[in-house]
Amino acid sequence: MNRRVLAVGLLVVVPLIGILVLNIGRDPHAFNSPMIGRPAPTFTLRALGGGEPVSLAALRGRPVVINFWATWCVPCYEEHAVLVAAAREAGDSVQFLGVIYEDDADRVADFLSRQGSAYPSLMDDDGKTAMAYGIYGVPETFFVDAQGRIAAKYTGPLHREALAENLVLAGGGKS
Amino acid sequence: MLLTVSAPAAAQAPAPAGQTGFEAADAAAQEDPREVVGAPKGAALAGPALEARTEEVAALLRCPVCQGLSIADSPASMATKMKARVRELLAAGYDEEQILAYFERSYGEFVRLEPPRRGINWLVWLAPPMALLGGLVLVSRVFMRPKGVSVAPPGPPAPSADSLPSRDALPDDPALARNVLRIREQAYGWPGGVPPAETP
Repeated sequence: MNRRVLAVGLLVVVPLIGILVLNIGRDPHAFNSPMIGRPAPTFTLRALGGGEPVSLAALRGRPVVINFWATWCVPCYEEHAVLVAAAREAGDSVQFLGVIYEDDADRVADFLSRQGSAYPSLMDDDGKTAMAYGIYGVPETFFVDAQGRIAAKYTGPLHREALAENLVLAGGGKS
Repeated sequence: MLLTVSAPAAAQAPAPAGQTGFEAADAAAQEDPREVVGAPKGAALAGPALEARTEEVAALLRCPVCQGLSIADSPASMATKMKARVRELLAAGYDEEQILAYFERSYGEFVRLEPPRRGINWLVWLAPPMALLGGLVLVSRVFMRPKGVSVAPPGPPAPSADSLPSRDALPDDPALARNVLRIREQAYGWPGGVPPAETP
């Protein structure tokens, strides 16, 4: 009888402990985006500082890097320089886009005038683009291939190597 | 397609109808939810019914920038925008499941506060009632056990009150009785060795 109780108890408790141990320290937000491999949600957004609105659909035919960021996000400062440098280097072969997440246009304009810019920053005032891409926080960067599919997503500040690796997945840059 | 020139302010305020309307709409265009979840399956809502339904559906969606809050409960700006999107989709006639699926496409299953009843998620829904049922069966088996079948092995019988001498009993021998009284006086502080009246 006691052995049976023990066996049943272990049968219940051991798998539970196993699940807990396996998931310790795992951030529930940090799973692969369900969007990888799927068509990138289209959008047409107003670019900061005027100019024509930018439409993702019109950019089909070359890889697009979509970086969601904000000036209140400290890691975004670090990655900004990396993105600007990469955009200058890539020239026309890759289109870089910044989508502003929960920030106001004046602050972004001020930031860009001080830190430099090399690609359009798009205003997503009603947050619909961030919603369509399932943004949990900034920075998050999507790599869209020439066919308009999301090839990769990077959460957190990009550094040179990560940017290059993910760009290759989207069919851009040098492998 | 795109206009080559656009006023930067066009998207901030709704443009007056007829003039720059196309430009303003174009400047903030999004993909059609139809492409994600198909044509609306429900009735288009408006007025108080729309507001009530918005709260209900928003309560089923996790606020992505909060800890364990629904977008109905969160004051965060992004949550407010998501709620506005829910309202918009309900007004367009999308039903609850379509709206949840729309957000799930982007955020993953995590965005649903209630795990959808499918696949391994059934474990979450079925395990607690099963465990409760199992517990009830276990408890009822213990309580319904037929009388006479004892759980504990029979040990020495507990002494009954009758078998113990009462505290004022005295031996028959008068000399021995006097000694008992004296000992009781010393040991318990009873004057003359006589126990005080029982106090409840």
